[in-house]
Amino acid sequence: MTTEAKENPPLGRVIVITSGKGGVGKTTSAAAISAGLAKQGFRTVVIDFDVGLRNLDMIMGCERRVVFDFINVIQGDAKLKQALIKDKRLDTLSILPTSQTRDKDALTKEGVEKILAELKAEFDYIVCDSPAGIERGAQMAMYFADEAVVVTNPEVSSVRDSDRVLGLLSSQTKRAETVGAEPIKAQVLLTRHDQARIDSGEMMTVEDVLEILAVPLLGIIPESKAILRASNVGTPVVLDGPSAAAQAYEDAVARLTGSEVEMRIAGERRPGLFQRLFGRAS
Amino acid sequence: MSDRYARTPDETMPARVAALQVRGRFLTVLALRVDPQALDGRLYAQLDDQLSKTPQFFSGAPVVLDLGNALQPGDADPLRELVENLRRRELRVFGVQNAAGLDADALQSLGLIAVSTGRDAPMPRAAGPSRAAEKPRPVQNKVIRSTVRSGQMIVAEQGDLTVIGSVASGAELVAAGNIHVYGTLRGRAMAGAHGDEDAHIFCQSLNAELVAIAGLYQTSEAIEDAARNRCTHIYLEDEKLRMEVIA
Repeated sequence: MTTEAKENPPLGRVIVITSGKGGVGKTTSAAAISAGLAKQGFRTVVIDFDVGLRNLDMIMGCERRVVFDFINVIQGDAKLKQALIKDKRLDTLSILPTSQTRDKDALTKEGVEKILAELKAEFDYIVCDSPAGIERGAQMAMYFADEAVVVTNPEVSSVRDSDRVLGLLSSQTKRAETVGAEPIKAQVLLTRHDQARIDSGEMMTVEDVLEILAVPLLGIIPESKAILRASNVGTPVVLDGPSAAAQAYEDAVARLTGSEVEMRIAGERRPGLFQRLFGRAS
Repeated sequence: MSDRYARTPDETMPARVAALQVRGRFLTVLALRVDPQALDGRLYAQLDDQLSKTPQFFSGAPVVLDLGNALQPGDADPLRELVENLRRRELRVFGVQNAAGLDADALQSLGLIAVSTGRDAPMPRAAGPSRAAEKPRPVQNKVIRSTVRSGQMIVAEQGDLTVIGSVASGAELVAAGNIHVYGTLRGRAMAGAHGDEDAHIFCQSLNAELVAIAGLYQTSEAIEDAARNRCTHIYLEDEKLRMEVIA
């Protein structure tokens, strides 16, 4: 794997992976996106903000290496360097796990800001894996963000929650509160996309989702067994061999870093002439 | 009697019903503002005139006197006379407000309590006769140039509200005047929030959870299919919400 650390001064971009609703694939996406960024050679750290429900370390396959955590660092019990876990597969990737025994009240704005400032001096991308909900944990994860990836399933309740989160991103964050600051660049990442279920009307179409959320589309991740398998073995899906989902995440990462990649729905069979004719009846 | 009841204070009764229950209660009272400097026949003539017009409204109603902070500590006698006169007219005076000048003893001797009004200023006096008092509020329109997201609430307290963008389901628009949505209305829109029945709602595509004008509302279920997802004008006619497809 070619991972040449870029020698320039770090970019220090903070990206929050958020959604409002639980179970839509935030942590999976945070793991895949951070691994994808690191694979491209960006110095990347991924932070688990889901205090009390520590999952990211398992998805990243480093749960046995956790000694100190995010909360220890916030409270001054450990140094940031001690808590950061270097990924064994990619030397540009680090993980900052969270505490399983504490709760979200342990997060303080000052503490988070201080840690992010330290990380910005060393990393190109700081990926914040937000907990579900819109309470303290999620607020802290998004507050200092420069960019947001709103993970959404093509389904009404997920879309509504994402819309709520987009509202919070444009009102309850540092960039929103700072006069003259550029607003957070929010993009939607559509996960668990299943063309068959969309065709049968069980799920919303990509167009419907984008019409409601009115933000750019970062990528479409197909519903895939590869994701479940990767999670179970503790590997971000982009590092777990080729799959449609891995490709979709890599495309999304490329777009995140400013490349123009054509939007393709992986795993989709080209619709036949008949389908194309009659699929547009509406 | 078993040991289990040993701690019951009244051991002769196995089960005890509390003789006392404390409940909070809100009470609507009439506040009668009188000018203590004008405690003459004129006051009672006007009062009798008022009472004869709407006898049911005042009969037996609990009344609080608003004295406008104008009485001096020595003024217990005119107050006594006033209270007696009012009680003779079946007005149940039980309290006074804005009576900073009077001491507690004087009030108690009249069977009155001091009611705190939240603000210790006299009630604004109705200026002049009848409707001249209603000064038109300055209109302040509001324009929102972005999507209104779920959970957001936009209020135009004194005017029209225009949204250039869509209104998501779970968002809420409130305006004293009209509401215009240049996008899809999926949330709630309440026009004429202060009771203006001439308020209208316009939207480019109607898919609202709820629309209301001057408090009359319709939920999504009641929205006519003809208007759904169409450019619609909503207004009140004969106490009913009308939905008219414009384009």
